[in-house]
Amino acid sequence: MLRLSKSATIILFIVLLLYLVIVATPFGVLFLNSFKSMREIYLKPFAITESFSFDNYVQAWKKADLGSAYVNSLIVSVSSIGGVLLFSSMLAFMISRYRFRFRRLLYIYIITGLALPARLAVIPIYVTLNQLSLTDTRIGLIMVYIATGTAFATFIIKGFMDSIPMEIEESARMDGATPWIIYWKIALPLTKPALVVVGLVNFVNVWNDFFFPLIILSSSSKETVPLAISVFFGEFSNQWHLIAAALSMSIIPIMIIFFIFSKNFISGITQGAIK
Amino acid sequence: MKTKVKHILLFVLPALFFYTLFVVYPIGYSFNLSFYSWAGVGEKSFVGFENFKTILFGTFSGEFFNAVWHSIYFFFMNSIFELGLAFIIAVALTSKIWGRRFFQTMVYLPNVISMVLVGFIWSMLLNPQWGLINSFLELIGLESWAQPWLGQKETALTTVVMVNIWRNIGFYILVFMAAILNIPKDLFDAAYIDGAKNNKIITRIIFPLTVPTMQTLAILIFIWSFNIFDVVYALTGVQAGPYRTTDVLGTLFYRTAFGGLGSSRQDYGLGAAIVVIIFIMVIPLSMVYANVLDKRSRGL
Repeated sequence: MLRLSKSATIILFIVLLLYLVIVATPFGVLFLNSFKSMREIYLKPFAITESFSFDNYVQAWKKADLGSAYVNSLIVSVSSIGGVLLFSSMLAFMISRYRFRFRRLLYIYIITGLALPARLAVIPIYVTLNQLSLTDTRIGLIMVYIATGTAFATFIIKGFMDSIPMEIEESARMDGATPWIIYWKIALPLTKPALVVVGLVNFVNVWNDFFFPLIILSSSSKETVPLAISVFFGEFSNQWHLIAAALSMSIIPIMIIFFIFSKNFISGITQGAIK
Repeated sequence: MKTKVKHILLFVLPALFFYTLFVVYPIGYSFNLSFYSWAGVGEKSFVGFENFKTILFGTFSGEFFNAVWHSIYFFFMNSIFELGLAFIIAVALTSKIWGRRFFQTMVYLPNVISMVLVGFIWSMLLNPQWGLINSFLELIGLESWAQPWLGQKETALTTVVMVNIWRNIGFYILVFMAAILNIPKDLFDAAYIDGAKNNKIITRIIFPLTVPTMQTLAILIFIWSFNIFDVVYALTGVQAGPYRTTDVLGTLFYRTAFGGLGSSRQDYGLGAAIVVIIFIMVIPLSMVYANVLDKRSRGL
């Protein structure tokens, strides 16, 4: 950590402020435009709307059928994150705590997936889902997300578990506790900081994903939020006031969740969840 | 600790099953598919290395190498800006600065928004008629700089690259911050006692000790550069206009496999062959990366 002189502090602070402007302006413009009429967007790019109303939001909500899209996105996100956290933490626990054959090979096999562009294999993924009659189902989508989330989750959780002392677990084992009890009652609660990081990263990925729903889902009743919103990119592609309202609505839930968990998330990462 | 095989299987199998079925097996299957011609329905017909010939030497080679070149351009620009800028900002954010926590949160904010949405927000800002960027340039008297950023060959690709950097840099900043906070405090204390100036501390302590982080991040940037799709899709469409000047392997693959106006030929096999070529470039590096991480976690 640097010790800064007064002048250096001020210069760096100004640099950071400028950076903040670059980060925040696009969001600001989006929210401003979401309340404007199309005419106002064209003529007064910097001004705030003259007649404030939620008209754009109501229209966008109806046109994109966002109600059912939110429900779908919530089902898919929550189930796949639950799956990823459970299965990956079980795997990470085994790799971190026990010695068995092929352990290191298994670990490398899994974390190779950290850097594999899994999405590019979308054709075979689709074909496989089709053979299992799981195309156009939420469960198919959830399974794909569990699979694509495994490498990152296992890597982070295993790394975190490695740094937790094993004494409590050892003594529990001496008292005859099964691996499942040790995992569920002792290891998992201690791993919470890592689970927050993994959960948030996965929520962001799944909630935002456009690509897999586009390929896997076909009936509009199952559409997730990004897919529902994509209706504006084709049919209503010049109605920027509606697009802005729709985008704002899809961003708001994730921003709320991010701000709630951001403190845990950032301290989780900077304290060595990722190295 | 040791335990029974049945316990090991119970803990390992669920994750292993999903990961193998939907990540590893599809990659293997892509290799198989790349030797066939297949429109998605009906019979596949075996064509041997024909797809690879078409891509590397045949009618597709122009488009293919155009896209490869752009992916490499992405890699260079991302390495310079994401690593360079992220390093500087991370140094600032790990110093004692007023509002540090707030900045740390804000820096990561663009990362929580999907690339597709980021693309649409930026196409709003970059709109040649009423976008904020051009309006701002006019406001400060630089009308002559205002231009259709995404609509002309000279600026389109770089604009897409910059939007991509805007979205992703927060991740790199946080990783650098983690690396810097990991440096033992004594090193700083000792250097300050010896009367070292901050620029010396940055170049002699912080920089050398974050080089390993830079190396792993550079591997990731390389791999992700060949995986780019959303940002181009959202900013300039599947056609990667103008005149394919923003085309990358991801969009080329999408057009080939799933069609779209103007694609010269739609074929799953041909698409799979493009993917296989990407995998051949990327998988060895993925394994190097996994090995580095594994070694580092064991303190080697």
